[in-house]
Amino acid sequence: MNPLLEALLKQGLLFDAAGVIGLGLIGLSAVKLARRNHSWGGTMMAVGAISLLIARFYLIASPHLVTNDVLYAIGPIGNSLLIGVPPLLLALGLAGIVWGLWGHERWLHSEKR
Amino acid sequence: MSDGSFLTLGSIEAVRPVFLIVMGVFLALIGWRLAKTSGVWTARWLVAGGMLLGFGYAVMLPLYEARILEPFSPGRHFHGSPAVALAWHVVKITVMNVGWLLFGIGIALHANLLGSPAPRPRAQTRPVPSPHESIA
Repeated sequence: MNPLLEALLKQGLLFDAAGVIGLGLIGLSAVKLARRNHSWGGTMMAVGAISLLIARFYLIASPHLVTNDVLYAIGPIGNSLLIGVPPLLLALGLAGIVWGLWGHERWLHSEKR
Repeated sequence: MSDGSFLTLGSIEAVRPVFLIVMGVFLALIGWRLAKTSGVWTARWLVAGGMLLGFGYAVMLPLYEARILEPFSPGRHFHGSPAVALAWHVVKITVMNVGWLLFGIGIALHANLLGSPAPRPRAQTRPVPSPHESIA
């Protein structure tokens, strides 16, 4: 395989950076929308973007941070939290962004009228 | 529908693809509706990002959940062809990440994130009386 392609795939740095930048932009603009319009949609979108970012950082960092020693140290409850929380954050984040966008869009339409 | 399949439909594993499909379609739809009310370039970014994300969330991730597409990880045994798994993996990470990037840029343009804030009303400066008046 082409070494450049391999590095891009295995590290995934470029794509992860693109995704993180996009989510950061969504979070920042959501905060700006919430401040400017006083709409709850922006707040919801910001919460969603932040939880997606947290889950993404965990997924990127977990191969380096979570070792067998760590897993042994945090015990069974910690283990199940480590397994259960990231998908929950991903789902909640996506739902938050979509819900916030919907609220913002409805707010725009009601203001136009 | 038998009892067993009904129970699996209610479980988290079965609900996840449905959730992803609904969210993906909704995201693309709302992006398109937002794009209708905004400028040309904002609409282009928004629609491109929304369609990529909609495809990723509504089509690709449920296919992965259904095990129709094999997840790619280096050094793993594949049932099908590793090249196909690798190609789908590349498509997945491209669609998800570039989709979020484009959508984020679109939302940022829509929110006027990088634009200058609205100009502050300038303080009224009192007209300075010209020095000649006092002399005259």
